[in-house]
Amino acid sequence: MSQSPEDSDRRAAAASAGFDRPLLLTPREDLLGYVGSLTGRAGLFLIAASSVLAVFLIFVFIAREAFLFFIQGETPAEIAEFLWNRVCEVFGSTAWYPEQDPAEYGMLALIAGSFYVTFGSVLVAVPLGLLTAVCLSDIFPFTLRQVAKPVVELLAAIPSVAYGFFAVMLVKPWLQETFGIPSGANVLNASLILAVMAVPTIVSVSEDALTAVGRPLREASYALGATRAETMVRVVIPAAHNGIIAAVILGMMRAVGETMVVWMAAGNAKQIPHPWWDLTESVRTMTATIAQEGMDTARDSMHFHSLFTIGLILLVFTFVLNTLSEFLLGRMKFRGAKP
Amino acid sequence: MNVRLRRIANRGFTGASVLSVVLLTAALLIILGPMLFKGTTAVFFHGTVEFRKVQLHEFSRGDPAALAKEIAATEKAREPIYRLLDEFRRGIDTGRLEGEARHVYRELGKQLKHRKGVGPEERIRIRRFFRGLRNTLIDAYECTDKDEARALLKEVLSHAQDERLAGTVGERLFRMARDYQELLETFDLGKREEYAAALDEVQQAVRNLFGPEAGKSKVGMPPEDRFGAHRMDMVRRYADDLLYAETWVEVEKGRPLVKKRIPREEQFAGTTLEPLFGLFRDNVDAMFRPRFTVYWQYFLDDAVPGHYFGGVGEEILGTLTVTALAIAFAFPLGVISAAYLVEVAGDNVVVRFIRMSINTLAGVPSIVFGLFGLVFFVMLIQALSGGAHKGECVLACALTVAVLVLPVIIRASEEAIRAVPNSYKEAALALGASRLRCFVTVQLPAALPGILTGVILSLSRAAGETAPFLFVGAAATTDPLWEYAAWDWPWQQVQMLSYGAYDVAMNDRIAGMVPHQQWGMVMTLIGLVLILNILAILVRSRVSRKLRGG
Repeated sequence: MSQSPEDSDRRAAAASAGFDRPLLLTPREDLLGYVGSLTGRAGLFLIAASSVLAVFLIFVFIAREAFLFFIQGETPAEIAEFLWNRVCEVFGSTAWYPEQDPAEYGMLALIAGSFYVTFGSVLVAVPLGLLTAVCLSDIFPFTLRQVAKPVVELLAAIPSVAYGFFAVMLVKPWLQETFGIPSGANVLNASLILAVMAVPTIVSVSEDALTAVGRPLREASYALGATRAETMVRVVIPAAHNGIIAAVILGMMRAVGETMVVWMAAGNAKQIPHPWWDLTESVRTMTATIAQEGMDTARDSMHFHSLFTIGLILLVFTFVLNTLSEFLLGRMKFRGAKP
Repeated sequence: MNVRLRRIANRGFTGASVLSVVLLTAALLIILGPMLFKGTTAVFFHGTVEFRKVQLHEFSRGDPAALAKEIAATEKAREPIYRLLDEFRRGIDTGRLEGEARHVYRELGKQLKHRKGVGPEERIRIRRFFRGLRNTLIDAYECTDKDEARALLKEVLSHAQDERLAGTVGERLFRMARDYQELLETFDLGKREEYAAALDEVQQAVRNLFGPEAGKSKVGMPPEDRFGAHRMDMVRRYADDLLYAETWVEVEKGRPLVKKRIPREEQFAGTTLEPLFGLFRDNVDAMFRPRFTVYWQYFLDDAVPGHYFGGVGEEILGTLTVTALAIAFAFPLGVISAAYLVEVAGDNVVVRFIRMSINTLAGVPSIVFGLFGLVFFVMLIQALSGGAHKGECVLACALTVAVLVLPVIIRASEEAIRAVPNSYKEAALALGASRLRCFVTVQLPAALPGILTGVILSLSRAAGETAPFLFVGAAATTDPLWEYAAWDWPWQQVQMLSYGAYDVAMNDRIAGMVPHQQWGMVMTLIGLVLILNILAILVRSRVSRKLRGG
């Protein structure tokens, strides 16, 4: 068979466009391309690992500063004794006087403060958030949902300092004047505001969980004659419990880690409310302590290191909660995948 | 029965769910409403002549000639107030009167020295005699009993015709005694202490209303004292101090004290000061010349320390600079990470570890980011610059918050890239494009609006954060960034809306006197964040319409 001139022209054109290359090359044939793609992958991996690096650096640098708070002394016996005394002091005393001589670093009141506002806010935010999620997933028609979702999103978007501002300028005087509470900056105030801030997180995560339960389970329940309330409470919510617990944990994390609102609205008093159920007492949280004292503490002083210890406690606490929530959400996804 | 109960329970459940949504909506309105509404009073208000003075002197805005005319008119209207005050003060302020009497005595001594025809002994005698007179007058001033004071004054005046004092400064003493005699008839001496305290309040109120008296130097005054009430709401507040006295009275034993307002006219009844209040009330417009003002430059102007007047331009610029810089750092990292996670990585331990790290990063409390920024970025900048820079600066703020928004960008980009239909990718690959080329020219453009939504949301997150900035460069008062030379600004501390909102609400004593500035600051912050969020919602709705094939 002789080749026509057009045929060879076409071939030449195809060769110049690179179409005559085989579709798949072995590494030996295309060394440059192979190495290029490998380095490209490695580069991408390194960039993607930047978040790992960030988390690592955060842990290392916070822990390094906190380390000096616990480890002082020459001989192992000295170090051990110092460490033991420190741990006892930090978790066994409510006296936080880091600038006095001798300084006292009892963090119990601060931890209790964080606990109070977090617990108070969760108490309000969980029913509110869960009911809203139910509303969004099962009750509202599409158009109403389109209106209600942005409301929740806007609540999440408002900066925390604006919430704090609101708490100080409006809620505080309102509590004082309407209810005659001596100081409007107290657990109640901070908890209410934190609840509003935690609701969007709870709503979005638990709504996902409720939706993930799927129609068949709901339809089966309705077919058995259950009302909507019974279906939700007895069937859907129990089926979505992993996701809902994760939602509550994430909401709690938001409240524990929040700084500005509790700094501005919780009253800044280093005490455990007395009696314990009195929510109109002022407290001071761990985050607020860091914010309050971090700005004008001499670097490398013991006080400075003690603040990093608070930071480390917060970091570890949120890390544990986060891992827990992820575990629960992972289980939810695993289950959802199964028919 | 059972069915009815179940139906009621069902209704109750639905009602409670709907109620919770209504509650949330109400919370949103209650929180946003006052902040946005009260915040607008920083821009729209009735400005007085003092406001125009501020604008001219501090920002070189307005017409000097017209303002001068206005100032002259208002000063004419204010003059009687000052006159009445001065007159009344003369009777109250015995310290000043006594000082004046002593001054006259000293002047007389000097005058006698240079007088011819008076021998030293004679001089001493005259001085001694005059000292007696002076002391009697001072006694009269200090006396709280009217009759006694009258008698003392009469005694002083009985020597008025003494020829030894004729033509000397000494005659002034008699004039003072005569003035005081007239004054005595107008008010109750026993109440002098009370009047003095009230007068102080009145004077302070006048000072707050009118600013420093015309013709007095303003050099060295703090900014809040340099001008009077520059807005009508401030005028109203200070006028209230001027027109009413507030006292705490015990209504019942053991109960908290109750605030009671007494009109000043009642307080100063029968004195020469009484007409002042009516005069003020009738002439507010003439004294302040209020005019509706739209102060749009509020968003551009630099404020004086304490935000007594001026705007939030500096804070806006600081916030925008820091957030833009942060996104510039986080955006490439975030998008490339997302691309790796979606396109390249499989599901192995390393990738799961990366995902866990991203989630952990998203959960780190913001204040911990602040601590981290302090010991990492601030120290790093310090060390790298060899101590030339303080470390707490714009750059440190931007880097810290870049780490904070990194997970937000990664998650949003991941979702956006995943949402691009697989057919796009398959078509591109079938046409012979390489993986890289396919991603850059096909998948990325298709995912870009979604990525953009994430970027806008993280911008709003970064703009609203406060806690991470506390230790890494936020400041309550610094010079505005625009005043630094070309590449100096990244190394400076910076004022931001978020930290500013905290500062004016909690720390700033002066800002506490001007609530519109506090609300204005927080309104600007919320406004910025809301605009960004609405933008994101719009972009997203367009994207979802497009992906649905609209």
